[in-house]
Amino acid sequence: MTQAEIKLCSLLLQEHFGEIVEKIGTHLIKTGSQPLRVIANDTGMSLDQVKKALCVLIQHNLVTYQLQKRGFVEYEAPCSRVLRILRYPRYIYTAKTLYSDMGELIVEELLLNGKMTMSAAVRKVADRLTETMEDGKTMDYGEVSNTFVRLADTHFIQRCPMAPETTETSDAPPPPAPTLAVNEKDMYVVPNLNLIGKGKRSRSFDDEDNGEHKAKRQKQDADSKEPPPDDGIYWQANIDRFHQHFRDQAIVSAVANRMDQTSSEIVRTMLRMSEITTSSNAPYTQPLSSNEIFRSLPTGYNIVKQILDQYLTLLADDPLEFVGKSGDSGGGMYVINLHKALATLATATLESIVQERFGSRCARIFRLLLRKKHLEQKQVEDFAMIPAKEAKDMLYKMLSENFVSLQEIPKTPDHAPSRTFYLYTVNTLSSARMLLHRCYKSVANLIERRQYETKENKRLLEKSQRVEAILASMQATGAEEVQLQEIEEMITAPERQQLENLKRNVNKIDASENQVDETIFVLESYIESTVKKL
Amino acid sequence: MAGRGGRGRGRSQMTFNVEAVGIGKGDSLPPSTLQPSPLFPPMEYKPVPLQTGEEVEYMLALKQELRGAMKNLPYYVKPAAPKKDVERYSDKYQMSGPIDNAIDWNPDWRRLPRELKIRVRKVRKERTTILIPKHKQRLPVDKEEAIKKLETLEKKEEEVTSEEEGEKEEEEEGKEEEEEEYDEEEHEEETDYIMSYFDNGEEFGADSDDNMDEAIY
Repeated sequence: MTQAEIKLCSLLLQEHFGEIVEKIGTHLIKTGSQPLRVIANDTGMSLDQVKKALCVLIQHNLVTYQLQKRGFVEYEAPCSRVLRILRYPRYIYTAKTLYSDMGELIVEELLLNGKMTMSAAVRKVADRLTETMEDGKTMDYGEVSNTFVRLADTHFIQRCPMAPETTETSDAPPPPAPTLAVNEKDMYVVPNLNLIGKGKRSRSFDDEDNGEHKAKRQKQDADSKEPPPDDGIYWQANIDRFHQHFRDQAIVSAVANRMDQTSSEIVRTMLRMSEITTSSNAPYTQPLSSNEIFRSLPTGYNIVKQILDQYLTLLADDPLEFVGKSGDSGGGMYVINLHKALATLATATLESIVQERFGSRCARIFRLLLRKKHLEQKQVEDFAMIPAKEAKDMLYKMLSENFVSLQEIPKTPDHAPSRTFYLYTVNTLSSARMLLHRCYKSVANLIERRQYETKENKRLLEKSQRVEAILASMQATGAEEVQLQEIEEMITAPERQQLENLKRNVNKIDASENQVDETIFVLESYIESTVKKL
Repeated sequence: MAGRGGRGRGRSQMTFNVEAVGIGKGDSLPPSTLQPSPLFPPMEYKPVPLQTGEEVEYMLALKQELRGAMKNLPYYVKPAAPKKDVERYSDKYQMSGPIDNAIDWNPDWRRLPRELKIRVRKVRKERTTILIPKHKQRLPVDKEEAIKKLETLEKKEEEVTSEEEGEKEEEEEGKEEEEEEYDEEEHEEETDYIMSYFDNGEEFGADSDDNMDEAIY
């Protein structure tokens, strides 16, 4: 939990949940597990505010709680989960590419609300889809349910841990906090619901009237409704599965870049076959025989078996070692080396960063060091074919930025400097960690700059929003063209220009944040793969 | 000790043979840094332009929409609005934030620790005739004042309990409030004015602030 991570977490929480939640979340991330009163004391906020914030954070799976032996409850916030907020757009987009609009909306609702029951999610999504359809058409609940089931089957959404069943009359007082249990078997089992209905279109009144009517209606509904049949079964987005999908995508596109389209399709098929059988942090997939792969190739691809075998041999012999041969039965058993692939991707990212930051000659030295592991100053100059002075300069620049490190090898036991070898080397793991830290800092800087830009132009933004609101209401009541133009002219031309600039800047910053997040994903996956699980 | 005497005479001595690392005799070292690195260091190589394409545009739009949507959800906890300078008549009829920091949405209380529930104090108006006098005595005085100030027309169905108060008060107030639920509904229908029609006149003067020549009466 570095300073950069904490700062980024606090900015993300503030943008999405407001300042109160941000203060409490940041405090929990910084100090670890704490009970309620200590949090209130340390942050100086009122108990009610702390309770409110904790409810929100728990709902969104950002904070977990545990009942301690002494009888009080401690709350904890894992930093890594809060950082995932940055990746929400990518999850939603992936759901869209795989399951089209319905999948996209389901995942979006689940991410926005933290956890939901299936019936609530289906209803909301159907309503939203109905809004976008033409007049008179509504979205049927059945279709949305089908997409929901498909998402659960491919593990993209999963059930939250269940609260224990409470008996009707219990003599002992209920525990201060329920212990939620994870049921592995049922994690993806969809409850047997019979959701019949259609999406509702909200009426086209003013917003206020609508809100009032709905509120009144809801009150009457709530009084007469029984709890829905799947009460207590909550679903959340399965972030690990999405990460697995991104990782597979990265590997496939790497193979496509390095070799050709067909080999990337073969690798994609192999990965698809091992989706459910291999756990997400296994070092390599289960061995797949060449016959199985041949049978599972997508139907559009009609390559002959021999060609497939040749491709597989090529892939296995490639120095990048994405694919490995683990046996000869069944026409050859092949595995995909996941950890090696992640390491290669991270290394490629490092190389590209060195190239963009220091120039191509530095990149040459960097790649040389990666290949030869340890080299002396003189050897670097010789192998890289760069004059001594420049090579020295470049090495020191990279050394000062911690991309390259020095390894001492003493000749004598007293480590005398004149009798010690100093070798330059690249430690990919520590460089990756250093870069990851830098990425977090970059994103934090980007968010701060964006907030600054928005704050500077706050007055102008509010004015333009008011003008738009007036325009919209006047158009709804059927005003004349002249009047509309008058209103539009309330924003002068230079102000319009300023607004354009602001919009362009904010868009650029947002796009940069998304792009840095892709690098963060690659580096994080690599670092995670090297951590040995106990 | 021997090293320190060499100060000022050429380069400073180091504990190891600097030639091993490549600093030859007579080479000038770059000047030592005496201040922290600048806040915006100049870049030698300009960064590569951002990715473009349909995918990128779509994710950008998603990101901005997500931000906007979250601000309107009940999960976005707004800090309490600062108290206005003067108590205004409109405060009585305008919808302000949730009462007493209670939450706007309904979490599943079975999944949360009990200590996180917040007590919602039911709004009490001047209904001395309806209330039995002994109820009034039980309420401490400061609560009464706070309640009068925070009047809203939102319906609060949830009666959540908290372990802060004494348990006796809890049970009794709980019973009272269930009875009062009907009263509040009636009371709402009492006002003849539809809330959306109420305009407190704040937007009125906004556009005409340009010409300060005319006096405002």
